[in-house]
Amino acid sequence: MTTSPTARRVETTAIAVIALFLIVVFPLLNAHGVVSDFTLNLWGKYLCYALLAISVDLLWGYTGLLSLGQALFFALGGYMHGMYLMRMIGDLGQHKQPIPDFLVFLGWTDLPGFWKPFSSFPFALAMVFLLPGLVALIFGFLAFRSRIKGVYFSILTQALTYAGALIFFRNNTLMGGNNGFTDFKFILGHNIREASTQRALFIVTAVTLLLVYLLCRWLSRTKFGLVQKAIRDGENRVLFSGYAAGHYKLFVFVLGAVIASVGGALYVPQVGIINPSEMTPDKSLEAVVWVAVGGRATLLGPIVGAVSINALKSWATRAFPDLWLILLGGLFILVVLFLPGGLVSIPGRVKELWRRCRAKKAGPSETETPPAAPAASAEETPAKP
Amino acid sequence: MVFRGLSGRVFAAPPRVFPGADDIRFSARLLLDGAVSDALMMMFRILRLFVFLPLLAGPMFAATPREIIAEAAVAESSARQRELVASLRGQGDEAIAPLLGAWRQDALFIFPNAAGEKIPVTLAGEKDADGAQAAIRVSDGEPLLGDDGRPLRLVAADLVAADHTSSLRRVMKGVLDVIDVAAPAAATRIKAIQTLGQTQNVEQLPVLAARLEIETEKKVVLALREAIALINLKSSDPAAKLAAFEELAALHTLSSADFLKTALKEAEAAGDKTLVAAAGTALRAVERHRAKVDFIGTLFRSLSLGSILLIVALGLAITFGLMGVINMAHGEMIAVGAYTTYVVQNVFGPGLALSPFGVSMRIPGLNTDGWVYESYFLFALPCSFLMAALVGVALERGVIRFLYRRPLESLLATWGVSLLLQQLLRLTFGANNVQVGSPSYLSGNWTVDDILFGWNRVFVIGFAALIVLGVWLVLTRTPLGLLIRSVMQNRQMAACVGVRTERVNMLTFGLGSGLAGLAGAFLSQIGNVGPSLGQSYIVDSFMVVVVGGVGNLVGTVISGLGIGSIDQFIQQYSPALAGALGSVPVIGGGLRNLAQDSAVFGKILVLCGIILFLQWKPAGLFVTRSRSLD
Repeated sequence: MTTSPTARRVETTAIAVIALFLIVVFPLLNAHGVVSDFTLNLWGKYLCYALLAISVDLLWGYTGLLSLGQALFFALGGYMHGMYLMRMIGDLGQHKQPIPDFLVFLGWTDLPGFWKPFSSFPFALAMVFLLPGLVALIFGFLAFRSRIKGVYFSILTQALTYAGALIFFRNNTLMGGNNGFTDFKFILGHNIREASTQRALFIVTAVTLLLVYLLCRWLSRTKFGLVQKAIRDGENRVLFSGYAAGHYKLFVFVLGAVIASVGGALYVPQVGIINPSEMTPDKSLEAVVWVAVGGRATLLGPIVGAVSINALKSWATRAFPDLWLILLGGLFILVVLFLPGGLVSIPGRVKELWRRCRAKKAGPSETETPPAAPAASAEETPAKP
Repeated sequence: MVFRGLSGRVFAAPPRVFPGADDIRFSARLLLDGAVSDALMMMFRILRLFVFLPLLAGPMFAATPREIIAEAAVAESSARQRELVASLRGQGDEAIAPLLGAWRQDALFIFPNAAGEKIPVTLAGEKDADGAQAAIRVSDGEPLLGDDGRPLRLVAADLVAADHTSSLRRVMKGVLDVIDVAAPAAATRIKAIQTLGQTQNVEQLPVLAARLEIETEKKVVLALREAIALINLKSSDPAAKLAAFEELAALHTLSSADFLKTALKEAEAAGDKTLVAAAGTALRAVERHRAKVDFIGTLFRSLSLGSILLIVALGLAITFGLMGVINMAHGEMIAVGAYTTYVVQNVFGPGLALSPFGVSMRIPGLNTDGWVYESYFLFALPCSFLMAALVGVALERGVIRFLYRRPLESLLATWGVSLLLQQLLRLTFGANNVQVGSPSYLSGNWTVDDILFGWNRVFVIGFAALIVLGVWLVLTRTPLGLLIRSVMQNRQMAACVGVRTERVNMLTFGLGSGLAGLAGAFLSQIGNVGPSLGQSYIVDSFMVVVVGGVGNLVGTVISGLGIGSIDQFIQQYSPALAGALGSVPVIGGGLRNLAQDSAVFGKILVLCGIILFLQWKPAGLFVTRSRSLD
């Protein structure tokens, strides 16, 4: 996990180029009609997924916590923002009532109490941070207090997500039930369907992603980040060294939840719908696939993975709708088995191979050639048996 | 049977012919039996009397229902007709309903024979070219014979239907209303009696009382007592009402609750204190009984749900206990088992056409039926086990064995496998649910004291016990079990003394997957079989394993049954809890709202319960003690 100064410089340059492209060039191209609105919108979605992937990576790649609850936080953020967007529809809904259509359908005549403050954008924004953060705090406190870890933690977070989906699927939760929220009209006074609004949303998403990336990058280099990685590699040793591992994990868990939630909040206005199917444990696992394919324990990996897998999905679900799941499943098995470092580890491996070939030519006697995969996997292996 | 067929055909019969019409054709047809002498007729009557006397075993004038109807049909005065028909009340003879029905629909005819005697007949059988049908005598159900001794065939249009006035039809309706009270089948009787009781019509009381005296079937007697008591609730006599309340309190049937509530209100309105007290007592008795039925029913349902969870989680517990591998594809092993059952069922039946990836193939069927077909399930059980075990072994050899040192990643890889298998099943068998029929020995139920015991659930409970016993025997009494336990306790040491741990892994994984397949065979009898069948059970079975503790059969059994019963009991009693939950500060309203959907509420409470439980016992109910530190 040590990175040489050159590699770091390369990464910084790459990030700067990508960020410049996404934040400035891509929207400009769209404004001039080179990139279609559809493509821009699609990429906006990918970037939101990248935020979700970063949150998974922060937990799984850096702290060794495989949380299957990230889809829950993602969807919660989406719902919080969605509530604001639903209020902004005003009386332009199908029923021409000042309350959301599904409430009219359920026989409500005025707004339920907990909906009222969501007419204000700052409140909704605060809830995007607070609600998932609070859920993560309570759940994490209980889970880490009793030292639930490994697969147990995964199973419990999976169950948490499942329970969340069950609650949101109910009509009586008054959150739109099965259909969720859709048919948004305005955001902060702008028409949400307008190309310029979507472009602005895209830029906001790209900037958020950059900021989150920078935050995580900074965090991973502080002492906090080192403890985080130490917990991943040998939690008991960290405990015995006098660190309260539980507090560190709790902080990371809440931070991950908030990042996922922000991703969800940006996702909703761009995709135009949020419903409980975003909240299922499968969605969490899918996000884990992005991270695994992109490369866990790197910060570029999740972004690369989220964008590439989703681009592949967009293409494959149209080209081979029947085979897409087989492709995804197969890809996942192959990556887990043969490419534990993910896509971003490919350049390093190629370089390694290249160097070895040259070394062989120069002096065949000095190095024996161990197979590449075990070497990489040994590096990735957590200390858990 | 003949009569039912007849009355069905009556609808198609031509409209009633008025007397005097078509007289010529009529007489021409009757030329044949021109000379039936009076003496012969007399002799026949005497003969008939002698034949029927021993059967009747009653006074001379007692007649069969058929004879009564025959007599009524030709009776001169309508008052006499009414009297005769009314005397049929309370009788359950099978002949009454069709005959009266025919009469009302103008299909009971009066046939004047050559002697000038009026013989009531009905027509039955196929119409021949002339539209004639066989004539059946109403009085005894035998074919009407002509002079030559051959059965007569008559045309409906030529005959005169028996008269019926509206008052007579009312009497007939009165007879028909209570006819099932005396029906030969006990179930029909009970149903009719209950219907009569619920209408609370005082007029029907004598019929029921008369039936009560001769009824021997125990269940019918109970139904009669309930019906009589229910009717008596409407009685004007306070003493009869009081007795009815006492009777209903003694019977405490669930169906009487609503009537008791109404009666209680009436008594309160009337201000009769003794009646109010009696009604209250009766109502409380019913409520107590209902509480008991609910409780035992819930207990049974929780036992069966617990057994399902247990069967589903058992395989997972074994693989997890041995290898620390959470097999996310476990749900698909269940689906493989269920689909194997489906295939076996179709092999026993008409065969099955499949087209995976556009390749059409056909599995031939044996086309069996009857009990041979029904026994398919017994063959499906081992097939499901083997099929899922094979898939499991392949999975272990192909994927999992590379990941023993990386448990989290094996979770992910098996999820990939799960996606893959799910899609393969979808492509092979279609995205829709397939139909797996239950054999008849699994689709009935017992009702004991108002509590319903479905056979399939009883079967699941029994088989769960059997499987647990089997697994326990395998683990403790066979060489394989010894190896499994040794590897489970200390892999390195087992390997050192020569246990081929790789092979044990493979076999264990096969065993665990096979058990999942068995679970699938059961689930096919209880719910739908579709490609995502396993997904709906996977979260629950993980919970069972986590709560039960790793590698411990007893823990899995207790946690499976425990989670099943907590879930069911919360579902049953959450509406009752909703009020109490509403008073919880801050989140009370939300909780009450949630408690409305008892199924969701049960699941969520179970989950919260599990999280809190793990605070107390982080490693589950039973922990394999060791000094090693993970």
